Amino acid sequence: MLVITRKTGERVCLGDDVTITVLDVSGTSVRLGIEAPSDVRVYRYEIWVQVQEENRAAAQSSVDDLPSASS
Amino acid sequence: MDIDSTRFGTFQVDDDLVLTFPDGLIGLSGKRWVLVAQQEGVPFYWLHSADQPDIALPVTNPWLFFSDYEVRVSDDDAGILGLDSPEDAEIYCVVRADSDLEECTVNLASPVIIHQATRVGRQIINDAGGYSVRHHLFSEVELNEAKALVADIPMPVEATAV
Repeated sequence: MLVITRKTGERVCLGDDVTITVLDVSGTSVRLGIEAPSDVRVYRYEIWVQVQEENRAAAQSSVDDLPSASS
Repeated sequence: MDIDSTRFGTFQVDDDLVLTFPDGLIGLSGKRWVLVAQQEGVPFYWLHSADQPDIALPVTNPWLFFSDYEVRVSDDDAGILGLDSPEDAEIYCVVRADSDLEECTVNLASPVIIHQATRVGRQIINDAGGYSVRHHLFSEVELNEAKALVADIPMPVEATAV
């Protein structure tokens, strides 16, 4: 893991195509501006992890657990 | 093509009906998927990996269960899907099945969008906010009501019976 300090208005780049700018810091909140190509998916971490977890759990669903025509 | 499945054995799907998910599903890689129907008259399909025999997710038409459900596709996602109008989209939500009906949940926060004509698919984060990844499936509509509704809608073109 890399830990770096940035000031408002300063940037971090990830590879050649992704730039993250610290727009504003207010209390415990940081507002970020993210520039990335359209094929790079950018989401809040919490929702992303939740969806991953749901997909992986759903992928374990058994045929018997799904309501059938007779149930 | 032949699809190997730990759940359904080996079954055939017309090559034209194979779905392409350029970015896989969220947390599940694999670009090639197929939509299969296990039984007629049941409001569920399986989104089945074409390459990994044990990976298949139950999906459903969310409007069967939540008539006022809303999906908003971001411009970026619409661009990647090549979607020009909502009529081009087939929309499904992933179901987490459970032998106890009360415990079945559906992910309304990140629906799966499939372009009807090109069969390109993508799981998006719904820009219409406030939806849960784990919403109780039968909280508004009973199973029998959903079954009655499903009889009135055509099978999706991609769904191959297994």
